[in-house]
Amino acid sequence: MSIKLRYLLVFIIPAMLLYTVFIIYPLFDSLILSFFSWPGVGSRTFVGFKNFQTLFTGSYAKELFNAFLHNVYFFLLLILLELGLGFLIALMLASKIKGAGVFRVITYIPNMIPLVLVGFMWGLFLNPQVGLVNQLLKLVGLGGLAQPWLGLENTALTTIILVNVWRNLGFYVLVILAAILDISPDLIEAAYIDGANNWKITWRIIFPLTFSTFRTLAILLFIWSFNIFDTVYALTGVQAGPYRSTDVLGTLFYRTAFGGLGSGAVDMGLGASVTVFIFMIVMPVSILYVYLVEKRQRSA
Amino acid sequence: MLKLSLFGKIMVYILLAVYCLVILVPFFMMILNSLKSMRDIFMKPFSFPTKVLYDNYTKAWNQAGIGTGYKNSAFVAGVSVIGILIVSSMFAYAISKYEFKGRRFLFVYSMLGLAFPARLAIIPIFILLRNLTLTNSLFGLILIYTSVNIPFSVFLLKNFIDGVPNELSEAARIDGATPMQIYWKVVLPLVKPALSIVAIVSFVNVWNDFFFPLIFINDKSKATITLAVSIFFGEYSNQWPLLFSGLTLAIAPTIILFLLFSRQFITGMTQGAIK
Repeated sequence: MSIKLRYLLVFIIPAMLLYTVFIIYPLFDSLILSFFSWPGVGSRTFVGFKNFQTLFTGSYAKELFNAFLHNVYFFLLLILLELGLGFLIALMLASKIKGAGVFRVITYIPNMIPLVLVGFMWGLFLNPQVGLVNQLLKLVGLGGLAQPWLGLENTALTTIILVNVWRNLGFYVLVILAAILDISPDLIEAAYIDGANNWKITWRIIFPLTFSTFRTLAILLFIWSFNIFDTVYALTGVQAGPYRSTDVLGTLFYRTAFGGLGSGAVDMGLGASVTVFIFMIVMPVSILYVYLVEKRQRSA
Repeated sequence: MLKLSLFGKIMVYILLAVYCLVILVPFFMMILNSLKSMRDIFMKPFSFPTKVLYDNYTKAWNQAGIGTGYKNSAFVAGVSVIGILIVSSMFAYAISKYEFKGRRFLFVYSMLGLAFPARLAIIPIFILLRNLTLTNSLFGLILIYTSVNIPFSVFLLKNFIDGVPNELSEAARIDGATPMQIYWKVVLPLVKPALSIVAIVSFVNVWNDFFFPLIFINDKSKATITLAVSIFFGEYSNQWPLLFSGLTLAIAPTIILFLLFSRQFITGMTQGAIK
């Protein structure tokens, strides 16, 4: 249908105005701000690429690289656990069992809790002396395994990732399950008649037919992995202890832009350059995502 | 789907039961410990309280400002949801039902927000709100949340509105209806399920958010529920019974909402992110 311009504007302007002013313009402004030095008040001083120099080769280089690697580790472990376990549990829920509906609801409950509160809750459970996790290990005779999970450099980050998985796994299970249930049952029935076993059906039929879902989820996981903040904030704080072993780009950004005990001078320009760095990492993947969404829209 | 032998079925049930325990036991322990004394929590973490202390809840409610947190979060989430529904459905209707130049561009443009988290723009947003004197204000939060949720809502609503047959709106137009009337009287009533999904999902997104209140709000009386609990954990870090009961109170509303509307939640959350 066609529409008169003035009507069209009435429908389009409110959403586009809010979205442009509060999301798109600030994203661009971040880019501009990253070339300035600015304590947050007063005037901005143009410094060219100095912020990026500080980040990549100057005093922040080690911290930036350290945090970046932790984001990458986050992504890899999340892919393995959320997509791997998610597929396994979705397959189980998709087989003909009774009570699948109840399981589905239970699976999704942790997703309803704010991430930061999930962090606080597990922070209590993981307390080294009196937390329930170590108490439970002692109770079942595995006291030797009890340790300060968040206090040791080699376990803290993985522990935080596991807390994330505990909270988010249900989402991946349900998305993958929906994709599996989209497959025509006749197809699987026919494979059974041809003598295929469950293993073959899983890898030759179900996995290929749900692959686009895995691809989308991997893309989203990538974008989200570089925006981790809440759980780290709640479990090890903005200083991302012990000794920055749980630092991610999100917490590094928070310290540079908004400060926190023991951080150096706060500089919004430097903070903005951290977000630009994150932006650059996720951009190729984000563009791919928008492209895929748009393509599916056109073919639908 | 997959057919399982009896042994396979038993294995599946066992594994799923273990998974459910991993999910549910922490909640159970949180509630159990929220009713205990400090001594009980430390000495007998897994047993029932020697004396049930309902009082923990009253104390946590008052000291953590749970009531204020609920009120602020409900206000912010409620108003944001209304804003999101109105602006997103109008926009989605226009780009779904009308042909005009730039329509595809507008759709792609509105999808950019799905791909680039608004957190990356937090400093300019902060400056913008400060210039508008909307920092430390619930209204500022509402503006941000309405904007942040536009991409996902437009996407979901457009999908549904695409499914409304064009013949219906054509017929209404021939009868003399204006675009506004077609939108309000023909299209919206037909996509009610989608509107309820958008409402539920964005309500939870807003209610659960922590990052924006952390940056924008510095007044306890304006703290949302997540910020209130976070401040409480900082101030009362040794009062374990109160921490557990405060957490339980903070978590309860969304869980109850979810159990009541689990079907809409599940469709909304899974479709919104993926389709």
